[in-house]
Amino acid sequence: MSERIYYKVGRRAWQIKGKPDGLSLRSRSRVPFTNRHWLKWRDVHNDKTLQRERVLVDKKPLWWVIGLGLLALITPFLPNSMISVASIFCIYASINVLWTLIVGTAGIFSLATLAVVGLSGYVAAAANVYLGVPWPLMFLIGPAVGLVAGAILAAPSTRLDGLYYALLTMGVAEICRVFVSQLRALTSTGGAITQVDSFIPADWFLQRPGLLLGFAGAFLLLLGALLVWRLVHSERLGLLLRAASTSREDEAFSEAVGIDFRRARLMVFIISSSALGVVGAFYAMYYRSMSPAIFSLDQMLLLFAMMVIGGLGRAEGAVVGAAIVVLIDKGLIELGPLRIILVAAIMLLVTIFAREGFTGAREQFRDFRKRKAGERRARRTEKGGEAMPEEATEVHDKQELYYRRFNKRLRERLKLLITPALISEHKADPLGHHSDALFRVLNFFRRAEMADKYIIMRMKDGEERYRIMAISGVRGMPPRVVDDKEYDALNDAYHAVFLLRVNDLLES
Amino acid sequence: MMDLNLVIYALNLAAIYALMAIGISILWSSVGMINMAHGATFAVSGYAAWLVTGAAKPIIAATFGKTAIASFVMATTLVGSSLIAGALCGLVIFALAFLPIHDKPNYSVRALIITLALNIGTVQGLLWMFGPRNRGLPKIFGFGRWEIFGAKIRYDQAGTIIGAAIIMALTLGWLRYSRRGLEVRAMMQNAEGAAYSGISRQMTALPVLMLTGALAGMAAALLSQTIFVSPTSGAIPLMKGLTIALLGGLGSVPGAMIGALLIGFLEAIVGAIPFLGQRYVMFATFSFIIIVLIIRPRGIGGLLDDTRE
Repeated sequence: MSERIYYKVGRRAWQIKGKPDGLSLRSRSRVPFTNRHWLKWRDVHNDKTLQRERVLVDKKPLWWVIGLGLLALITPFLPNSMISVASIFCIYASINVLWTLIVGTAGIFSLATLAVVGLSGYVAAAANVYLGVPWPLMFLIGPAVGLVAGAILAAPSTRLDGLYYALLTMGVAEICRVFVSQLRALTSTGGAITQVDSFIPADWFLQRPGLLLGFAGAFLLLLGALLVWRLVHSERLGLLLRAASTSREDEAFSEAVGIDFRRARLMVFIISSSALGVVGAFYAMYYRSMSPAIFSLDQMLLLFAMMVIGGLGRAEGAVVGAAIVVLIDKGLIELGPLRIILVAAIMLLVTIFAREGFTGAREQFRDFRKRKAGERRARRTEKGGEAMPEEATEVHDKQELYYRRFNKRLRERLKLLITPALISEHKADPLGHHSDALFRVLNFFRRAEMADKYIIMRMKDGEERYRIMAISGVRGMPPRVVDDKEYDALNDAYHAVFLLRVNDLLES
Repeated sequence: MMDLNLVIYALNLAAIYALMAIGISILWSSVGMINMAHGATFAVSGYAAWLVTGAAKPIIAATFGKTAIASFVMATTLVGSSLIAGALCGLVIFALAFLPIHDKPNYSVRALIITLALNIGTVQGLLWMFGPRNRGLPKIFGFGRWEIFGAKIRYDQAGTIIGAAIIMALTLGWLRYSRRGLEVRAMMQNAEGAAYSGISRQMTALPVLMLTGALAGMAAALLSQTIFVSPTSGAIPLMKGLTIALLGGLGSVPGAMIGALLIGFLEAIVGAIPFLGQRYVMFATFSFIIIVLIIRPRGIGGLLDDTRE
C-alpha cells in the first residue's frame, strides 16, 4: 500500500473562542441608547469536537479599533512633516468616507464632492474674514452651505442617468473653480481667501503644538465621518437603499414593496453633503486659507483614485485607499511626477485584477480558493452514492460525506462477492452457518436504513402464507406491498428478500 | 448681423470639438467604454508629431529645399505621425482597458477607471519626460489669410475646418460602406445581437479604438496649428469632447456633430460679447450643457434606453 497523506482538518486553530457552559444566561452590554451590541459574538456548534463554542463572527470592529488606535498613538511621536501627512490623511479619508456614502450607499455617481467641500469652506472662510464671524460658528455655516449645495445638486440626479450625472457634476466643479477665480474681491490673491481664523492659535500655526492640535481635530473629523457613515449606511436609510442598490429590476421591486428609494437616495445625498460642509469648514480652518485648487480636476481624480484603490463603496476601502495614496503622494514627495504615475499604475492594476479594491482582496481570494477546492473535489469524485461537489458544499455535517464515501466503497467490494454459488448457498440455508462472503453480505444488508427495508408479512395467523413488504420509513405511513407473490415457506420468503436486496445492491 | 469672422472662428472650434466628440461617442456606443484617456492620446499624438517633425525637418530641408513640395511633405509627416501615434495609443488602450476586463462584471465602470488611470499616468509621464514647457509645431498651412465675402480666414483655420471635414467624412464613409463599418454599426445598435450573429467583440473593438485614437491624433495635429503642445494640453479637448458627446447624446454621431456646432458657436459668441469675454466661456458652455441635459436627459440626439430595449 502506498504511503498516505493526511491533511490537517479544520482552519483557524489560533482563533480565540469562548466556551459557554450552556447553563448560565448570556449577558451582553449594549451600545448606549440603542439596542445594538458592541461585538457580534455568536454561539455555534462545532461538528468536530461536538461542543458549543462562542466565536466572534464579525471582526471588523477590532480592525477599526486597532488601526485608528495605532494612528492616534503613533502620530504624536512622528516628525512634523509626518504629522501633517497624517492630518491630511484624516481629512481626505473623511471626505472619502462621505463620498462613499454618496457613491456606494445612495448609488449616485457624483463627482462634485470636492466642489461641495470647497464651496462650504469658501463661504465659511468668507463669513469669518469679511463679516467677522467667530470661528466656532464656521462649523454651523459650513454644513448649512453644504445642505443647500447638496439640495441643488441632488435635484437633477433623479432625472439623469449615472454617467450623464457624473459629467454634469464635473461641470459644476469647473463652474465653481472659474467663478471663484474670477471674483473681483479675490483677484489680488489669485482667488484664495487667506488669514482665516482657526481653532489653532495663530502663533502656533505650522509649529509642533499647532500641528498636533490640527491632527487631533482631523482625527476627530475622521471619527465623526465614520459615525455618519455608520448611522446612515447601517441604519434605516441604508437598509432601504440596499434593496434597490444593484439593478433596475431591484429598483422596480423595491418600488413595488413600497420603498421610496428616490427619496432615500436624496436624503443620503443631502445628509452627506452637509457633513461634507463640516469638512469644508474644517479644511478652511486647518489651512487657515481656501484656494481654488480644491475645485481642480486633478485633486478630484486623486481622491477618486483613493476610493478605487481601497474599494469603491466600502468605508474601510475609502480609509485604506486614502492611506495608500496619501503616503505615496505626500510621503514620497522627492519622487516628483513619478509618484502620480505610481498611483495611476496601482489604480490600473487594482482595477484589472481586483474585484473590489484592496479591501475586497481577501474575499476575492477566498472565493478563488473555494472555487479551486471545488474543482479539485470534482476531479477526484467518482459518481455513484457519493456526494457531488455542489452538494458537498451544502451538506453541513461533513461526517455524512465521509460516511457516504465509505458506504460506496463497501458496496463496490460486496458487489464482487456476489456469485451464483453464494446465492445458491443462501437458498439452501438462509439462517444457518454461512461462508465468510455470505456473512459479510448479510451483515451489510442488516445495517441498511429503515426506509425501504424489506419485511415479511404472514398473511393470516396460523397459515404458512407470506408476502414481502417494504417499510415506508415515515412515521404513520403503512408499509407498501412490493409484489403480489406469495410464499408457502418462511425460508423461501427469506430467500426472496435476500434476492431483492442483492438486486438493489447490484443496481446501486 | 453676425460677423463672418465669428462664424469662421466658431466653425474652427466646432471642427476640433467634433473630432474629439465623435470619437468618444462611437467608442461608447460600440465598445461601451467612456474613454478618459482620449486627452492623453491627444497629448501623446502632439508630442509624437513634435518629435518626428523635429527629426524630419533637416532631412526634408536637405532633400527638397524650400519648395512647395517640402511643405507638403512636412504636412504629411506631421499629420501622419500624429495619426499613427493616436492609433498606437488606441492599441494600448485596447490592450489595457478592453482585453483584460471586457468579460468581467462592471465592465463600463472599470474601463472608465482604467482609462482615467491611463490618462493621469500618461500626463505625468509626459511631464516627467519633456517637462512642462510648451512646444510649437511647424505651421503646415503657412501664414497668411484669404478674403472671402469680406471675411478674413487664416490659413490654419481654413486648413483645420477642411481637414476635419475630410477626416470626418472618411470616418463616416468607412462606417457606412465598409464591411467592418457594418459590424461596428451592428455593435452600436445591439451588442448582444451582433455577438449572436457571429461578430467578434474583440475584433470590432480593436479597429474602433485605433480609429478613435487616430481621430484624437488628427485633432491634435490640427489644434497644434493654433495652440502649443504641452503635457496637459489634452485636458481641455477631453472635457470639451466628453461634454459635447453628452450634449449630443452618447452614441449618436449626428448628435455629436450638432453639439459641436452649437458649442463652437456659443463659445465664439460668448467670447465676442465685450462684458463677458473669454473668461466666461467655460462657465457659459457648462451652464448651457447643464440646462440642455436637465430638459433632455439623454442629450440632443440620444435615444431613451427604454425605447431602445
